[in-house]
Amino acid sequence: MPRATRETEIYRRDAKLNHNLLTPAEREKLIKPYLPTLPTKSTSKRNKNGNIPAIRIEQPTGSRLGVRKFLRAQLHILLYAIVHTIFSVYIRIRLAYHAVKDRILAILYYHHRTPELIQKDVKGLSRLPEHLSVILKLEDGGRGGAGLEALVDEVAEISAWCACVGIPMLSIYEKTGILKSYVPATHRAVSRKLSSYFGPQQPALSLRAPHVPSMESSSPTSSSESRRSGVQHLSVLLLSAEDGRDSLVDLTKTLAEMSQRSKLLPNDINVDLVDAEISESIMGEPDLLVLFGPSVELSGYPPWQVRLTEIFHVQDNQGVGYQVFLRALYNYANAQMRFGR
Amino acid sequence: MSGIHLTQLRKWMLESPPVEWAMNQLRELLIGALRQGQIPQHVAFVMDGNRRFARSQKIETVEGHNLGFEALARILEVCYKSGVKVVTVYAFSIENFKRSKYEVDALMEMAKIKLFQLSQHGELLDKYGASIRVLGNKNFVKPDVAEAVNKAVEMTKNNGDCVLNICFPYTSRDEITTAIKATVEDYTKPLSAHARPFSQTRITQKIRSRNLSTSPLRASSPTPDNASDVDESVSSSTTLHPETPPQDSRENNVYPDPETISSDTIGDHMFTAGDPPLDLLVRTSGVKRLSDFMLWQCHEDTEIVFLDCLWPEFDLWQFLPVLVEWQWRQKHIDEKALSAKTKVR
Repeated sequence: MPRATRETEIYRRDAKLNHNLLTPAEREKLIKPYLPTLPTKSTSKRNKNGNIPAIRIEQPTGSRLGVRKFLRAQLHILLYAIVHTIFSVYIRIRLAYHAVKDRILAILYYHHRTPELIQKDVKGLSRLPEHLSVILKLEDGGRGGAGLEALVDEVAEISAWCACVGIPMLSIYEKTGILKSYVPATHRAVSRKLSSYFGPQQPALSLRAPHVPSMESSSPTSSSESRRSGVQHLSVLLLSAEDGRDSLVDLTKTLAEMSQRSKLLPNDINVDLVDAEISESIMGEPDLLVLFGPSVELSGYPPWQVRLTEIFHVQDNQGVGYQVFLRALYNYANAQMRFGR
Repeated sequence: MSGIHLTQLRKWMLESPPVEWAMNQLRELLIGALRQGQIPQHVAFVMDGNRRFARSQKIETVEGHNLGFEALARILEVCYKSGVKVVTVYAFSIENFKRSKYEVDALMEMAKIKLFQLSQHGELLDKYGASIRVLGNKNFVKPDVAEAVNKAVEMTKNNGDCVLNICFPYTSRDEITTAIKATVEDYTKPLSAHARPFSQTRITQKIRSRNLSTSPLRASSPTPDNASDVDESVSSSTTLHPETPPQDSRENNVYPDPETISSDTIGDHMFTAGDPPLDLLVRTSGVKRLSDFMLWQCHEDTEIVFLDCLWPEFDLWQFLPVLVEWQWRQKHIDEKALSAKTKVR
């Protein structure tokens, strides 16, 4: 419906009177001037019950119209170019603006690897997620160790921040699942990072992936000493693309097999059953999902679990940063972030 | 006071015929320009914010939904004119039944009336190849609404140029579960041995009569006692599964192999089966959640956009930047893919 005040008025009046004012024919007459020209390409492609002649009649041919059509097309191409030029200027300005803003925030909010500072940053927040999830990307196409090393470092940093803030559950999604084959090494890296943040009183860490036994490390703190900060126990879960759709496919296979052996009726399958199985074998629903990419793209993140998850991303952001993490938490708690501490 | 006068004046200006005409021309031009680039084939909308809009404008909630419907009509026009094939809208969630009965009834009534009106314009819909589909769990709707739904869906099911998917009582979990169930049901239907002209009984008899002991190959061949009725029971089933070769020599029914289930198998049982992959998902009103919508469809390459405006305010002017940015990003992806390809060479 384009802007058509008079027609809209009539339509609304008709709606008020329980649609008794207008007959279908009158309604068609009302919108007639606003109908787009009939799609031309579909006439050749798909047509049944002989409405080709009707269409042909409605499209008068003639050289004058051909010229007009041509001019119109040229105008569209020109306008398309103009719109995209303006947009590319705009996006460059936006990218620059965001880069500067993110930089400033990154300077203003820096963790200095001190749990106390991180805790001070989140002190005023009304609520914190119980289960935080992040999506990381393996740069470098996976070849060469640099990408992997950077990834492991990001995992370690985020784990340390979560431990400081007091988020007990962190799940890390990385599409290729390369981390799953380096569970012990990742565990070591995270432990090292935690000890560089917390010193000797680091929280206990358990690192696991679905269907991979978890690697635990007990907290070395003596029970007499009260812990300074953060959580007692942090569990980190590594996810990959195979925990998404594939897990649902596997569940379906199992159910089909059970059904073939008459151990289950298809009617027994309901949302609760699927939910119980999926939460049991992969994970429950995260409260907050943080993306470190420039736009919201889930790139294969487990679909069943993101149902009600709050999705946070910083527009045009590239890469993992403490300020993004912090802004996500502020956003989750509906709090305003002020510059400066 | 002057503020009110000014808005009045502005409204009057915008509604005056020449301005209206100019605005419509501009819209047409912009849409035509958009068509020059790549256009998403499948767009989904979460129409959120009708109630909040009604509250902020101090009008009735139902009135807010009516304005939301008008916004939908506007945006559908933009989509189809610019070349989108399939639009999916989240009209009503199964969770929404928890709202006040008054509101639920009003929404149902609205759906019924709009669908009924739509089915009065069958000829017009056919001309444009427009098709309406209703995705969702029909067990939740009342029979009169279901009738209107069926009528509209039935009438337009042969068209396919512009498809409107209305998710109505829908949740994505319900959809996924339904798809899993349907897949399981498919795989529980025994394969038919109907097509084979050889009788197992006869073969067994022959083997026995000749007293050949080549049977180790067929160690699990049916015992003579029940072999005679196997043939009947197998051939009486009518299902045909050409994709998996039927295995013989099992005394009970033969089922397709569950290992052949893939995500495509389940995808084919989704409500959106046959639609192009979801390119763009837009949610209005600033809420950054999917709220159980299109989870299966949008969790891969779909670009998800959260906008701050409320749904009744949503129009070309809000949608245009989203589309242009999508085109821009798509161009970049294409360029990257192209350069990667040349690098490989």
